[in-house]
Amino acid sequence: MAIVLNKAIVGKEYPPFPVTVERGRIKDFARALGDLNPFYIDDAVGAASPWGSVIAPPTFAVSFRGDGADSSALLRDLGIDISRVLHGEQEFEIHRQLVPGETYLCRTKVVDIYEKAGRSGPMAFVVRETAVTDRTGEIAVTMRQVTVVRL
Amino acid sequence: MKYGRIYFEDVQVGDALPPLVKGPIQQIQLTRYAGASLDFNPIHQDDEFARAAGMGGVFAHGMLSMGFVAQALTDWAGAGSVRKVGVRFAGLVRLKDTVTCTGRVIAKSEKDDLRLVELEVWAENQKGAKVITGKATLALPSRL
Repeated sequence: MAIVLNKAIVGKEYPPFPVTVERGRIKDFARALGDLNPFYIDDAVGAASPWGSVIAPPTFAVSFRGDGADSSALLRDLGIDISRVLHGEQEFEIHRQLVPGETYLCRTKVVDIYEKAGRSGPMAFVVRETAVTDRTGEIAVTMRQVTVVRL
Repeated sequence: MKYGRIYFEDVQVGDALPPLVKGPIQQIQLTRYAGASLDFNPIHQDDEFARAAGMGGVFAHGMLSMGFVAQALTDWAGAGSVRKVGVRFAGLVRLKDTVTCTGRVIAKSEKDDLRLVELEVWAENQKGAKVITGKATLALPSRL
């Protein structure tokens, strides 16, 4: 039986959540990718760089998850199980580099839900955007994520 | 050239992004990436769960392959050069798969003080099937 999604959540903004970036988490993330770029993992190289410290790899902000604003919250709102979802698309716009010691504020909202017929049956596409701002309120990263739901 | 640094003037439309080959993918890397990215979806860890979900077994996080694509970009142009990267996850990456990331320069532009290079990027498995397609924009330094 086809699943009916709760489309009323389009426009919903999740509670903003802060993330303080720890140096070790940047390094763990880079190493998990097998990306040993010294600008991510070598403190001496980072200190001598234009940023004055190591920086995060381009996709690091995907690890910014807040209780009540993460995929679990989305699944609860949609009324579906995790086994039905796939990651469809992802975009990062990087306005300034993420650096250790900084505390960022993340605001996620649902911007669209649309349905399409897929090869293996009907699918819904849930589009979320997350704005990541630094402590001065300047935008650091914008993330756009499309979650595919197998209906 | 590992950990390169390229200049805007040295890049031409049509230039290839040097391929980066990653893998073969092992379960331990997916577990490690789950811990680093805080994405603990069991579909990437638990074969039984992935089969029950109709996925035919465990597969890699799409974000792992996107991270590989980002690495291909920064290995070429330098850390901190990526202004924008957006991808569609076109196919699943399985255990033991090899992922090759590459791309091509499709445009150059200058806006304010920024010198931007736009690329078409993609990643494919060892059978030549696309697992990622997308675009990226890099900000490059000038020799001038």
